[in-house]
Amino acid sequence: MSKCRDLDPLFAPYADGAVAPADRASVESHLDRCPPCRENVAEQRTVRAVVAACRPSLRSSAPNELRARCAAHAGNTRRRRSIASRLVERPWIPLSLAATLVIAVAAAFIVGVNDKVEAIAAQLTIDHVKCFQFAPERLKHTDAAAAAHQWAEKQGWTIDVPDSSASAGLELLGVRRCAMSSGRVAHLMYRWHGQPLSMFVVPRTIRGVPDRQEFVEKFGHEAVIWSGKDRTYVLLARARPTELAPIVGYVRQTAH
Amino acid sequence: MVFRRRATSSDPPAGETSPKHSEGVDEAFAREALTYVDSLYGTALRLTRRPADAEDLVQDTYLKAFRAASQFQRGTNLKAWLFTILHNTFRNMLRHDGRNPIDVDSELVEQAPAYAATEHSPEELLTRATLDVDLQAALDSLPDAFRQAVWLRDVEELSYAEIAQVLDVPIGTVMSRISRGRRALYERLQAAGLRETGTETVTRSAGGKQKADVV
Repeated sequence: MSKCRDLDPLFAPYADGAVAPADRASVESHLDRCPPCRENVAEQRTVRAVVAACRPSLRSSAPNELRARCAAHAGNTRRRRSIASRLVERPWIPLSLAATLVIAVAAAFIVGVNDKVEAIAAQLTIDHVKCFQFAPERLKHTDAAAAAHQWAEKQGWTIDVPDSSASAGLELLGVRRCAMSSGRVAHLMYRWHGQPLSMFVVPRTIRGVPDRQEFVEKFGHEAVIWSGKDRTYVLLARARPTELAPIVGYVRQTAH
Repeated sequence: MVFRRRATSSDPPAGETSPKHSEGVDEAFAREALTYVDSLYGTALRLTRRPADAEDLVQDTYLKAFRAASQFQRGTNLKAWLFTILHNTFRNMLRHDGRNPIDVDSELVEQAPAYAATEHSPEELLTRATLDVDLQAALDSLPDAFRQAVWLRDVEELSYAEIAQVLDVPIGTVMSRISRGRRALYERLQAAGLRETGTETVTRSAGGKQKADVV
């Protein structure tokens, strides 16, 4: 009996003709004297044949829209490059890095990244993590209109601040000046289903950033970057790309 | 100094990296990858059981695949590589939602009901009119771990080694899951056949309790 149990896993590949030659002999000599196991193998073959016969009805066709969306990702996805290839190229020097541990560690990762979108995403992910981690006491529910007004007064340029939204699961927690690019970046901080989400607004269009959004993954965070009229936007959180897509839709509605 | 990116389980499987092409996905690669969208979608549907979730899963899979295109080892099976990304992403999705990734209920199969009387021959099974419907139902009722393994083998026709990579389990486990999964499917198809012919029978449920199954 225990022989049957031991050999049981081999019956599937045996039935498919995919068992290793070394195992074939022991399976066959057992099958010669064990009718129940012979029946097992016959069942394996039957099910394989049944499934093969039903393949067309088991398979599904992807909706055309999905096909198109997937194809579009081929164009707006940057290849992640090997560390080796990064090191031989001209290193990109991170902008205005403060000497915090987070930055020191994270900066190590981005040495060699000379792609603009990758670099911006990396930089802002650092900022996102740093701000939420080091100033939690300053984060509280914030009124969007008041924050936008205050920003324009203090900084001399305007931002549209997407308001808290129950349907999008967003709560605005504050707007602060971001250290990157000499402080010319607005950091809009949100709570999104209990976790930090940031939107950054740069008061100019950055060359190389497309109008349509581009997804970049950095340090376990997903960043979506796009440019609008005189502004570049980056939205980022620890999330899957498709989870961020509706948020991007919501803020694009508000911000343009 | 060596900087290593922290690997997460949602990452595509590691392979040799090609240092060429600094950005954009090469067209031939993208074109070939996109020929598997139906396979991936059908499999995603089986995994998530909801079309909207399946679409998200397939989109995330392509995003990750294109992003990691340079890690794909030329000459290996692109379909298996995409399936690996799909399944990794799915497992992460479950973890993210606080659900248990794959509950391997081997007991259920171990104690699969024994059918003593009125066995249907394989020929009878194969020529039955309701075969498609019965098989769909039988597949849906299989424990996830077994369904995934049988699906990848008998519908998507991956090799045992490829399935081991996709499901991230040892190859022996794959063999055992397929073997048991198929047997459970066989039992369920037999049971459906019995129902169809109106035969009254007594089956043992998974818990070992006796249950009259009159249909």
